[in-house]
Order: sequence, then C-alpha cells, then structure tokens
Amino acid sequence: MSAPDFYFAVNAIARHIHDEYGKDVLIDYWQNLGMEYYRERSARWAEGGAPLLAEDWQTYFLNEPNAQVAVAVEGKSVVLDISVCPAIKHLRDSKREILDCFCEHCDHTCGAMASAAGYRFEREGGMGSCVQRFIPITHEAKGVG
Amino acid sequence: MLGCQDFCGYYDWTFHYIRRRFGQDAVAKLWAEAIAEDSQSHYIKAGGERGLRGLYDTWVKTGEEEQCDWTFTLDEQKNVLRMDMRVCPSKGFLLDNDRNADEDYCDHCMGWIGPALESIGAEVVSHEHNHCGQCWWEMGMKDTPHQPLDLDIDIRKDHRWGSGYVESWRHNTKLPLLEKSGSSDPCQVLIDWFAQYDRLLVLGRGPSTADKWSADQAHDGVVVTDPTYATRDVFEGDPVGVMIGDKPVSLDRFAERFNATPPEQRPLLMHMFLPGNPMIDFVGAGLPRPVPILPLLIRAGLYRHRPGQPYPTTGVFLLLLAVALQKEAAVAGIDLYRHPSGSPYLGQAPGSEDFRWPDWHSQACDTSHIRAAVGSAEKPVALHPILADLLA
Repeated sequence: MSAPDFYFAVNAIARHIHDEYGKDVLIDYWQNLGMEYYRERSARWAEGGAPLLAEDWQTYFLNEPNAQVAVAVEGKSVVLDISVCPAIKHLRDSKREILDCFCEHCDHTCGAMASAAGYRFEREGGMGSCVQRFIPITHEAKGVG
Repeated sequence: MLGCQDFCGYYDWTFHYIRRRFGQDAVAKLWAEAIAEDSQSHYIKAGGERGLRGLYDTWVKTGEEEQCDWTFTLDEQKNVLRMDMRVCPSKGFLLDNDRNADEDYCDHCMGWIGPALESIGAEVVSHEHNHCGQCWWEMGMKDTPHQPLDLDIDIRKDHRWGSGYVESWRHNTKLPLLEKSGSSDPCQVLIDWFAQYDRLLVLGRGPSTADKWSADQAHDGVVVTDPTYATRDVFEGDPVGVMIGDKPVSLDRFAERFNATPPEQRPLLMHMFLPGNPMIDFVGAGLPRPVPILPLLIRAGLYRHRPGQPYPTTGVFLLLLAVALQKEAAVAGIDLYRHPSGSPYLGQAPGSEDFRWPDWHSQACDTSHIRAAVGSAEKPVALHPILADLLA
C-alpha cells in the first residue's frame, strides 16, 4: 500500500516530536526506529552484503511513487543516487511545509540500520535529491583489528 | 528513507515509542495535533468548506489511493456520512506482516478523526472496530438532527464482524469494553476483574498440575487455558479466568460449558489476538468476545511481538498476565514438555524423548519470557520445582 499522503504523516510526526520534545528526542526516535523496527532488514543486509543491500533499496524505491533512484554496488559499498526523492516531491507538490531537518531522518534511521549491518551511512545533498552511501565499517575503524 | 509502502508498520511502532517514553496522553496529543491538524489538514479544510460532502470527497480520494475495500455512504438529508470498512489496508498491513508493536493500533483513527471533526463542528456519532480490519462509522454535523442508516452493506452483517474484540464510541466518547467494568481501557478491565483475587494459581496442562506441590498451593482464584475449561483435564472447579489460546480446541464444548454456567459465575475470557494468526470467530462459536491481553502485557513491558518469531505458549501467557496484574502467583503445569514422566500433558501417554516444539513456539521463547517476568515481578511468583529446575 504505497499511498503518498503517508509522507504527510512522516513529516507531521517529525515536526510534532521536534516541537514538543526537542531535536534530541527526534533523533532518538529516528535512531530507535532504525534499530528496532528495521531490525530484521538490517540483519538481512548483514547476511547478504552489498548485493542484497542494493537489491533491497532497488525494490524499496520501486514501490515509492515517483521516486527516481539509481542504485549501484561500488566495491563493497552501495550508492543510492536519488535524483527525485518521492517524499520531498509529494510534500512540495502538495504545498506542505517541510520540516527543516526532514532529510536528517535518513541520516539517523538509515544510519542506525547501516550500523547494525556493519556499514556506515553518508549523505550528500538533500531536500529533493541526494546521494547516499552505505560503506562497510572496516575492522580498523571498529577498533577490533 | 522512510517510505510510504511500509508506513503503517512504523506508524504502529511510533505510537509505542511515544507511549512508552511520554505516556498515554502523549499518544492522544500526537494523533490530535500531528495527524489531525497537520497531516490530515486537508480533511479539516474540505470539511470546513463543504461539510459532510467535503469529507466524503476527501475520503473517497484516500480510498482510491490506499486501495480500501470500503463503502462510503453520504445522506445529507439525514445528516449522515457513513463508512463500512470490509478490509482495512492499514490494519491489514500489520496483520499480513505479523506486526503488533503498540497497545492498540486501531485507536489512532478515532484519535485523529474525532478531533478533526470537532474542529469543524461535526462529530463521530457512532463508531466500532473489531481489530481485524473491519469497522463502521457514522458521522454528522453537530447542529443538525442525525438519523442512522440501515444498509445491506452494514459491516456488522458480514461474517467477518464476529472476529476480534469490539471497541465502541458514541458521540466521540469511548464506551466500556465490558458491562461489568466501567472502563473502556482493556488493561483496566483486566485489573478490575482480578482486583478481588490476591493470589492466583496459574495452571498449564503439564503433568505437574497433579502432584502434591500443586495441590498445596494456597490461592483465591485459578486461571486456566481453554482446553482445561472445555475438558476439565487438570482442574475440575470453576476458574476465574480462561486464556483462549491461539489454536483453541473444543470450542463447542467450551461454549457449552460457558453458556450453561450462571452469568455471575462465568470466568473472564481472554485471548492474545496475535496478528500473525487466523482470527477466531468467537461470536459464531456462541461465545462473548474475549478481552485482549496484549495491551496490558505491552504496557507492562512483559511482551514485545517479534514478526515471524516464536511466541509464548498459552500457559506462559497466563503467567505473564499474573505478573502484569501484580499478583502473587503459584505456577504449575508449565513443564516445558520436559516432565520426568515423559508425558507432554496430564493424562497423555509419554511421548518420544525428542518432543518437537511447533514452529510457532520454542523452549527458548518460553524460558526467556518466564525468566523476564519472574525477574520483574512485584509480588512473589512460586514456580513448580520442575519448572524452577528447568530454568536453573
């Protein structure tokens, strides 16, 4: 059920948590969403590695209305080149006020998911288009090498 | 990104996050402010401009986008906007994907529609939902006489309506869940029912129910599972509560006994209503709808539903309930299918040594839930020595 008006609620819930409880709580909410709700998805990424992670996002964006995304595996990393973010597009088309830090949900939710799967998450750009990278955490970086 | 395809799943999780961190009122505030006033502001705008007609048009558009199997009926002469939902895609997502993070996902609709209508001088005149994807609504403008509709497509005439537990609203107010309790909160209904019992005897169906330790346990109320109520296998007397399991056996015998019992002596019927299981038609079986236990267990932090993962056996759910109710308890008959006699249940012949747990249960799941519950219990919980040894 990919009804784009649900983006209204994603934006509104983030605004409510931000305004009612503060940015720290909003970040905590996004991070916990990644760690708890998406636990099984992260586990699949950890098991299947970059090819599965890429396939997962490819399938995911196919089910997001009006998304334009190129997914690529680069070495052991996965790169999402999002030329049209479906959420921002729908919010803008519907003349909805977008929370300033809306795009940060990807940093914190995807970041938490990535971390649980052994990756770190990077984002360049935002508010309509961006590039997202899932980069394997090396043993050195984890401090266990 | 947070997409719209799985929104309903993390919507449910979000309610749980807000509820556990900031309390019950915070969830109501989220629904009223974030959802009604912000996310669904187009309903308020359309309803404010064109009344019930504006709401009707907006809902019809939503229904097309969300692929709702519903019928909206507008009768402006009678001041009625009615909706009969046959398959809710939102709750359906949770049922299909075995999700149940929060106490009551379905409450969110009333949580936003009530305040939204209020803001435009309208109200929810009547509403009921059965937590299985079926619901009905009648809405009207407050300042105009309202006449209810009698429709063939009334969801209450559909066989699916007999499943689940029904919560009801009249004029934006939630009604008591059970006649005997004045509370509309299923958690409080359970607390009220068991208030008169200080020490519960929790009986599973294992052979340990028949030994001296079990017979010696003082108690002022016994709780059992559905096969025991139907067959009196481990307890002959009248229990004060019965947990109807996810796969009940002998529901016809169960109903026969229940309905032959004077109303004032009947036990409280309870059920888990787990999302990944086929819903049981209790009404069709001639029984009242049981009271749900998951809301209380979730609120007490004793149960977290994990999609596709094993869940506790019915007897263990009874134990969790006793702890959630903060009762002293003695627990017998939960032998984890490891009773020295080799029998899985009292009166049954010993099985093979390699008893195989069904895919939806596991010893690890039962033991971890029992350990966590007993470890957090506010009152003493006495475990049968066989169970205590198995946990050691």
